[in-house]
Amino acid sequence: MAKVMVAFTPMKETSEIKPHISISEVVFRRGQRRIFDRISLDIPVGKIVALMGPSGTGKTTLLRLIGGQVSPESGKVLVEDHSIPDLSRNELFEVRKSMGMLFQSGALFTDLSVFENVAFPIRIHTDLPEDMIRDLVLLKLESVGLRGASKMFPSELSGGMNRRVALARAIALDPRLIMYDEPFAGLDPIAMGVIVQLIKKLNTVYGMTSIIVSHDIKEAASIADYIYIISDGVVIGAGTPDNLFEQQSPRVRQFIQGMPDGPVPFHFPALDYAEELLGVNK
Amino acid sequence: MISNLRRLGQFGLELIEVLGRAGTIWWMAIVRRPKASNIPLVIKQIYQLGVLSVLIIVLSGFSIGAVLALQGYNQLVKYGSESALGLGVALVLVMEIGPVVSGLLFAGRAGSAVTAEIGLMKATEQLSSMEMIGVDPLHRIVAPRLWAGFITMPILALMFSVVGIWGSSLIGVDWLGVYEGAFWSAMQAGVEFDSHVLKGIIKSIAFGLVVTWIAVFQGYDAEPTSQGIAAATTRTVVYSSVSVLVLDFFLTLLMFDF
Repeated sequence: MAKVMVAFTPMKETSEIKPHISISEVVFRRGQRRIFDRISLDIPVGKIVALMGPSGTGKTTLLRLIGGQVSPESGKVLVEDHSIPDLSRNELFEVRKSMGMLFQSGALFTDLSVFENVAFPIRIHTDLPEDMIRDLVLLKLESVGLRGASKMFPSELSGGMNRRVALARAIALDPRLIMYDEPFAGLDPIAMGVIVQLIKKLNTVYGMTSIIVSHDIKEAASIADYIYIISDGVVIGAGTPDNLFEQQSPRVRQFIQGMPDGPVPFHFPALDYAEELLGVNK
Repeated sequence: MISNLRRLGQFGLELIEVLGRAGTIWWMAIVRRPKASNIPLVIKQIYQLGVLSVLIIVLSGFSIGAVLALQGYNQLVKYGSESALGLGVALVLVMEIGPVVSGLLFAGRAGSAVTAEIGLMKATEQLSSMEMIGVDPLHRIVAPRLWAGFITMPILALMFSVVGIWGSSLIGVDWLGVYEGAFWSAMQAGVEFDSHVLKGIIKSIAFGLVVTWIAVFQGYDAEPTSQGIAAATTRTVVYSSVSVLVLDFFLTLLMFDF
């Protein structure tokens, strides 16, 4: 694989502060496929960072690596100085208290009501009395605008509402880090506007470090402080939304501008067109 | 030739890998740290797997008991031994038909439901989000279902046998005219708890273990797509049913004197 020269825009203002998450030289394989090939990136504290890239490059796998659901073959995954792959089960349990994750489909527990879904992490991680749990849950639901739906079940909610409840559940324990897996996928403009505003609010008001995995250039660029573009297991482009659009690398440009053909080819590898057509006719 | 051998070897290795994963699930769900806080979950699963299966068990039990009485009467009356109908039906139900047929029905109804449920939870990332919150899905989802499975299975098998005996009495005594006293007293004299009923209970506990284990594993291991879940559900029913029947043969061989 040819080495690609990439121009990175350094994050000057946070270079003295330790990053919230530091991923260095991580190699991760699934079966025969190398998903990450010595990838390195840093997530600064309190910022919104977008991870973008073509489908199937393993952006969700990166979130799972950070959350400790999978372990890398080699390399370091550091979250607030904890090396995630080396933690014991109990230590990982504690670290997960300070992380929230919003899955693409919301992933609410379908057998529990909205209230019980949001209360779930609180009940698991704390010993708070019922009335306090009730107050916390209503607080969180109010912040996503769904306090009135607390008695409903996930199957009765629309997709956008599902995602908002899942967001309330993800912030139930006031985590310092929150990860969004394709939060904008499949939402109508109103629901999308709501989610964008909520992500921004959580970041500015609570100072939560936010990682957004998304395909949606426009929406992600509108709120992200920094963007990483990942392809073929490495970072091929990084920068603030403004200078990313000015980058010269053809792979980055193809992705940003949505060009159908370029370094990622339009045609799936096949035989010569004329030969194949003529061969069939024979 | 060599490639066929290689394929056979690969199949063998995959089989061992699958059995290993299944065994790991079994171990981690049951043996490691069962928590008292999980009891409400177990009770809920007992309702889902057991109580909701009662209707199908009762209907089937009654039908099979009635059929056994009909066919049994026809054969026994040739030798003038129709008063042994009650004894024969009761023994057959308690020792064989009760555990086996209720095992098959359980596999079809409860087993497929469990596989589909767990498979769907996997596909909609509920298991992942549970892990991220810090809850082990093996403890919260898999273990309660395993416990519920082998608590309810013997109860359902007994229910099947009881309803079957009652059904056979309706047909045999009330319709076909077998003498009531002989029907019941032969049964009472001939059916013993230790050598007949208990062995049937042991069988049904074994079937409950196997069926629920297969159901839970297939759901947990399913491909998170709609096709994958359909395939997993089919596998649950097929593998459970065949396992119940084959296990029945070996258990009968081991437990009864031949």
